[in-house]
Amino acid sequence: MQKKSNFRFELLMDAGNGAQKAGDILIKAFAKKGVYVFIEPIIPAEISPPKRTPFSLSGAVIRLSDSDITNIGSFSDLVLVEHEILLERRLQDQEFTEGCTILLDLGSKKRAQDAYEAVEKKAADAGYNVVSFMISEEAEALIKSLNGNGKNMYYLGILACLFNVDKDFLISFIKQTFKKLPKDKLDSNIQIFEFGFNAQVMDEADSLLFEGITHKNEKVLLDGNTALALGVIDAGIRLYAGYPITPASSIMHSLARLLPAYGGVLHQAEDEISAIGTVIGSYFAGVPAITATSGPGLSLKQEFIGLSVASEIPCIVVDVQRGGPSTGLPTRTEQTDLFAAAYGSHGDGPKVVISVANVDDCFYVPHVARYIAEVCRLPVIILSDYMISVSYRVVDKLKQSKLDDVRKIDDFVLDHFYMNRLSDSIEMVKENQNSPGIPDQMRRVTGLNTGSSGAIEYSADSNHRAHEVRSKKIHAVRHALKMPERFGSDSGDLLLVGWGSSRGAIEEAVQSLVNDGVDVGGLHFKMVYPLPLNLTDIFQSYKHVVTVEMAYGDSLKATPFSMMLRSETLCDVQGLICEAKGRPIKPIYLIEKAQAFLKEVQHA
Amino acid sequence: MPNSDVVNPVTMKDLKSSDPRWCTGCGDYTILVGLRKFMVQNQIFRENTVNISGIGCSGRIPHYMNTYGIHSIHGRAIPIALGIALAKPELKLFIHSGDGDSLSIGGNHLLHGIKKNFNCVYLLFDNQIYGLTKSQTSPTTRQGLPTPSHPSGAMIEPINPISFALGAGASFVATTAEWMGNHFVETLDAAFKHPGFSFVHIAQRCPKFNPSAWNFQDSSWLTFLVDEQAGIAADSKSAPDAKVQSYSPHSYENAMAISKDVPNVFGLVYKAEKPMYDKLVLDATKNQKQKDLDDLLNDYII
Ligand SMILES: Cc1ncc(C[n+]2csc(CCOP(=O)(O)OP(=O)(O)O)c2C)c(N)n1
Ligand code: SF4
Ligand SMILES: [Mg+2]
Repeated sequence: MQKKSNFRFELLMDAGNGAQKAGDILIKAFAKKGVYVFIEPIIPAEISPPKRTPFSLSGAVIRLSDSDITNIGSFSDLVLVEHEILLERRLQDQEFTEGCTILLDLGSKKRAQDAYEAVEKKAADAGYNVVSFMISEEAEALIKSLNGNGKNMYYLGILACLFNVDKDFLISFIKQTFKKLPKDKLDSNIQIFEFGFNAQVMDEADSLLFEGITHKNEKVLLDGNTALALGVIDAGIRLYAGYPITPASSIMHSLARLLPAYGGVLHQAEDEISAIGTVIGSYFAGVPAITATSGPGLSLKQEFIGLSVASEIPCIVVDVQRGGPSTGLPTRTEQTDLFAAAYGSHGDGPKVVISVANVDDCFYVPHVARYIAEVCRLPVIILSDYMISVSYRVVDKLKQSKLDDVRKIDDFVLDHFYMNRLSDSIEMVKENQNSPGIPDQMRRVTGLNTGSSGAIEYSADSNHRAHEVRSKKIHAVRHALKMPERFGSDSGDLLLVGWGSSRGAIEEAVQSLVNDGVDVGGLHFKMVYPLPLNLTDIFQSYKHVVTVEMAYGDSLKATPFSMMLRSETLCDVQGLICEAKGRPIKPIYLIEKAQAFLKEVQHA
Repeated sequence: MPNSDVVNPVTMKDLKSSDPRWCTGCGDYTILVGLRKFMVQNQIFRENTVNISGIGCSGRIPHYMNTYGIHSIHGRAIPIALGIALAKPELKLFIHSGDGDSLSIGGNHLLHGIKKNFNCVYLLFDNQIYGLTKSQTSPTTRQGLPTPSHPSGAMIEPINPISFALGAGASFVATTAEWMGNHFVETLDAAFKHPGFSFVHIAQRCPKFNPSAWNFQDSSWLTFLVDEQAGIAADSKSAPDAKVQSYSPHSYENAMAISKDVPNVFGLVYKAEKPMYDKLVLDATKNQKQKDLDDLLNDYII
């Protein structure tokens, strides 16, 4: 038995065969034992792509550790894969560690002898340790009786045994997960699991042990979109309007289940434009509201975002980014909506953009978004991404804030976003900001330019003033921003800068580089627009400043964030780590790039 | 909020705000006056009223009504109104929209607004032209009319707003003309009293760009649909030569059949009680066992 404190493995199956379900069950058991987990599902873009094709690759990548983990890591140490085609496909991603163990099900080998042999050879040549196995006949018979379902339980058994998880302990999670299944089906699933558990695919000596720790605090297991949905409720938002789009839809699904039980309403709109219109209507009537979408939906909402700016009716829009443009990579991750969020819409409409890096951020971001949107009366856009939205993590049970009156927002929530309280005297274009129902305060809002009375005005001065007042709201937010989170040295050779979901990779990479004696620092932004003042001073304490982004860039095309930072600081910020592969950035990639960059500039 | 404040009854003067800026002779003036008259007659309180509009000449109405109002974006007043209806169901909502706003850019919202049957009065200002952008072909422009965008004449047959509303499942469909003052106010009255999405089509004069659309000086071309119990009375003062046809607004088949005569018929075309989406959504929350906010995260504890 080998004791482990940090390990990454993956379970790969054809879509629809339940790999994520099996992964969920396993990580719940780990989490309960006190192991920290981070799980990233691999989901195809189609609903049921033909099985035994590369398009069918589906699965769960799971990272385990004895201490808190912030990202999915770089490489897998072990892979359990249903057949040779999925293995062939996943080998292309180059995410297996040297000597990685690959457990390959030979169930399909009879019909694909040559392909199996080719991929086995390829894997062996790459230095991986291929261990093949067959599902036992008794288990196959049961799987057949379940119309081909249940293979995932066999694999779950293999993994549970490999990780020395107590059998009955794990069965309790199977029962919990399948509580709606008829008893005979549940029993068959458990039996298949047990067959897998007893299959002895690996030697006892190769089995792994995670001791886990006893958690001092209560822990919760949450993915980003669930955390965001719960945050919406805790933030006192009472209306959600949305239109289905991957990867934002699960926010709507959670809220459809939960929001009415907490006094709110859920509205599925006829399109994304309508959804934001309904949010604006609700806010005009005095009820905080939110909509969530992904890139294509953000494009559709842009005109209403302009109205929100001009009419000074707050609104909150979540954009769970995916690969783009257009339908792009709907089940892959990217950070390429930055400009659409910060500079989108028309006619100079200043707005605030906040990003999230993890489950905690997702829970608290609706609170800050509400605070800024209502105090400044403007649109706030929240940028999440596919990776954050679907990744599960174990975190301390989140302290609730139960936001009601935004002026009384908790300090700890503002601190979480590196922000001070906003000034109490933020000027509005229109003096009267009352909601319907209040006598003698009747007012008309409009997208046309107005003066402070709220009446339409076309004069040069009045239009200029309106721009100024709106811009100053953004300045007020800028003034309230503290220095964002920093890692490693406060000065030195290199500063790695990122926003949103790259946080974990930056933290881990900087830590590792510093441990190796490299003079680097890291800087991570949650607020991406506006940015805090005196960034230039910080940037100037390093010889080089580079960004880490899940976005394409090259020597002739700056990455979005580097471009933004350059224009804000006039510093030579380079988009060094700019991958648009749809996969989260690996800490190791960051480390290698940083080292290579430093070597190159030192020689130059 | 009850309208019990008899001490300060709502007057025509109370409802005035800034001065309208439409062209002389524009039918929007008469709509504005009719709307105020209707509010005074029903003593609808200003603070409980929201006028919501899209963009167009018609979209300016909220500015001229001393109530709450939103002059929003082109074609999309309905989603905003629904947000208000879900947030504060006690408010009285009036949506104002042009023929282009309603049936072109906003067609999808209109379809779904009608189907959702949420509580509001919807006024479609039909001048059969794009007024504010200077006279391009609109979805209701009569075939053959030369416009700057179709100098040889509008190419296709217009959309029939009444058939559209009926097809979408409207619970209340009426058609009136702004120059027939009594008929107009009575139509608003019936629409307001109907629970749900009350679709009111209004023939509206645009002397500037489409004077030939509606012949308001002659009334022999039009027919009033009247039903003694449910209908809207014929307006013999404004339209002395109009025909009067006895008609029951309770039959969907009748309504569909008569809609072929639009725009020559006026009156209550269809009325039925239908489930209201706003009520369903709000009741779902009301009937749900409420949870304690302290328990929010309990299901996720491991
Ligand atoms: C997104 C968008 N597209 C185009 C316009 C320009 N526009 C303003 S009003 C209008 C048409 C108005 O016609 P209608 O709805 O019939 O209203 P009317 O002016 O005739 O009352 C157009 C195209 C706009 N304001 N917004
Ligand atoms: S253009 Fe036509 S609709 Fe617009 S204000 Fe003038 S007359 Fe009225
Ligand atoms: Mg028009």
